[in-house]
Amino acid sequence: MSVTAEARAAAGSNVVGLDELRRFIEHEADLLDERRFDEWCDLYTEDAAYWVPAAPEQESWLDHVSLFYDDKATMRTRVQRLNHPRIHCQSPPSRCVRVISGATLDGVTTDGAWLVRSKFVMVEDRPGNPQRVFGGRYAHTIVHDGERLRIRLKRVDLTNCDQSFPMLTQPF
Amino acid sequence: MTGYTSEQLQAMVRPDRVHRAIYTDPAIFEIEMEKIFRRVWLYVGHESLVPNPGDYYCTHLARQPVVLSRHADDGICVLFNRCGHRGARVLNAERGNAKVFTCMYHGWSFRPNGALAGVPMRKDFPEEPLEDPQFGMARLPRVESYRGFVFASFNPDAEPLLDYLAEARHGIDELVDRSPESKVALSAGCHRYHYRGNWKLQLENLADMYHPAACHASTVGPDGRQFKRRAGAEGGDAAFFAPNGEAIVAQTGVRGLNNRHSSEASLFDREQSGGHWDDYRAIMVQRYGEERTADILKNRRHSMTFFPSSDILLAQTSVRVIRPVAVDFTEVEVWPVRLEGAPESISDDLVRFVNITHAAASFIQSDDMEAFERCQEGLTTQGSDWVLVARGLGAEIDEGSGVLFGPRSSEVGQRAQHEAWRDLMGA
Repeated sequence: MSVTAEARAAAGSNVVGLDELRRFIEHEADLLDERRFDEWCDLYTEDAAYWVPAAPEQESWLDHVSLFYDDKATMRTRVQRLNHPRIHCQSPPSRCVRVISGATLDGVTTDGAWLVRSKFVMVEDRPGNPQRVFGGRYAHTIVHDGERLRIRLKRVDLTNCDQSFPMLTQPF
Repeated sequence: MTGYTSEQLQAMVRPDRVHRAIYTDPAIFEIEMEKIFRRVWLYVGHESLVPNPGDYYCTHLARQPVVLSRHADDGICVLFNRCGHRGARVLNAERGNAKVFTCMYHGWSFRPNGALAGVPMRKDFPEEPLEDPQFGMARLPRVESYRGFVFASFNPDAEPLLDYLAEARHGIDELVDRSPESKVALSAGCHRYHYRGNWKLQLENLADMYHPAACHASTVGPDGRQFKRRAGAEGGDAAFFAPNGEAIVAQTGVRGLNNRHSSEASLFDREQSGGHWDDYRAIMVQRYGEERTADILKNRRHSMTFFPSSDILLAQTSVRVIRPVAVDFTEVEVWPVRLEGAPESISDDLVRFVNITHAAASFIQSDDMEAFERCQEGLTTQGSDWVLVARGLGAEIDEGSGVLFGPRSSEVGQRAQHEAWRDLMGA
């Protein structure tokens, strides 16, 4: 699906296409891989949410538990904790790589936000612990704030979202 | 019993310490399954999981698959999830509704109370075994509910549930009374996490007000306040340290109840207020009156933990279930509770805040899991055979009815759990 001219105008940009959106979500993954959590948090708008449902096709974060449901304030707390020198469950820290594939532009909202869907695999290693592999689908709702692209909602649907998990520290 | 006499097991619990083998020896774990988990009352689930006849909810007790079900006439039942014919697990979905529960292997079917309903090509069987209830889906011998919380026991001679819960039943009261209709629903799903450690590490942690200063240091911001963990203007974001430098949580008391259960006192010294909390409070006052409402909402307890494997998180309005899998592997579920009759937004907030306190990805639980795994590894060392639980020993205050209060993050709660362990394992 192509981005409509109206949507581009509403978003304040005429130049954003799927390539740029794909590079943007890959950049987000790089920031997480490199543990640049402050910069990662800064990619999100003030009204953003980072959501990892705990049930397949979960419709709401209000009536069912979620693995993560962070508004921007909670994201800041999470990052503050990830940067804390005494976060024991990150001593030693995790090393992660996220691989994204199959990004598609799935639509444009009436207020000019792009909905980008993709698939991902994340490998997590923490010395002394078994290697862990997570996989699933990303759905990014991305806006242009006049200066740069920002994330308004990131939804992560893990293939094993409703199963039991060991401690999770890394956003997917 | 392989390897241990009752006397040897009793000797593993002393007034101020326990032997490390109770966390690490697979033979002791097997004895625990028989002498603890198949003797006492275990929490199975809440009646709200099976509101209608034919509803079922599958879980495990003492490692065995069981079904909580509702039968039109018999009401709540707890069945072994096993076909009476050749033994296959009958129900495979976690939850559902069915007129009869049908085994996939040969097509035998069972009513929600476990009675045999149908046998394909029945006339080729002798009739006598088909009349025998053990060839249906067998029922656990004892099932009792308290205010919607269903407990079961493998032990036909178990004492009545309320005698077992004793003073700890007030933890259920404190939770259920928060609903203007005295009704809660476990309708928001559950968090599930697991760790490579013994089940008692989680159980003991539920009575541990001493650990947060060190273990949860990363939850305290540069301003010395812990993140907001409850809704409302007074809902958290509280100062973590007292003026004398001690963590406020560690100045809080713990209770041991009836030599088995435990309860942490509330961290919060006042009711929540502001926004939709005030709307909720008005509904409560309408229902209960001002005096009773103030009493219900005064934040009496942080938790109430039932030996051996369940817990009411009063601070999070949730229910926790510990599921031992192996001596060094444990699964845990945390179910936020919706308060029937309260504004939806109150229950929405409960669901949302438990995500950040008790999910596998939460700010608090992740460091606890790290602690459990490091304990399990440390306890394999031969440096010392003993684990110390001496904090506040001798300083307990006897409040009567079997309740011992231990001020200042006493380890009185762990000692109560260990006494229960000793008495059951040594029997």
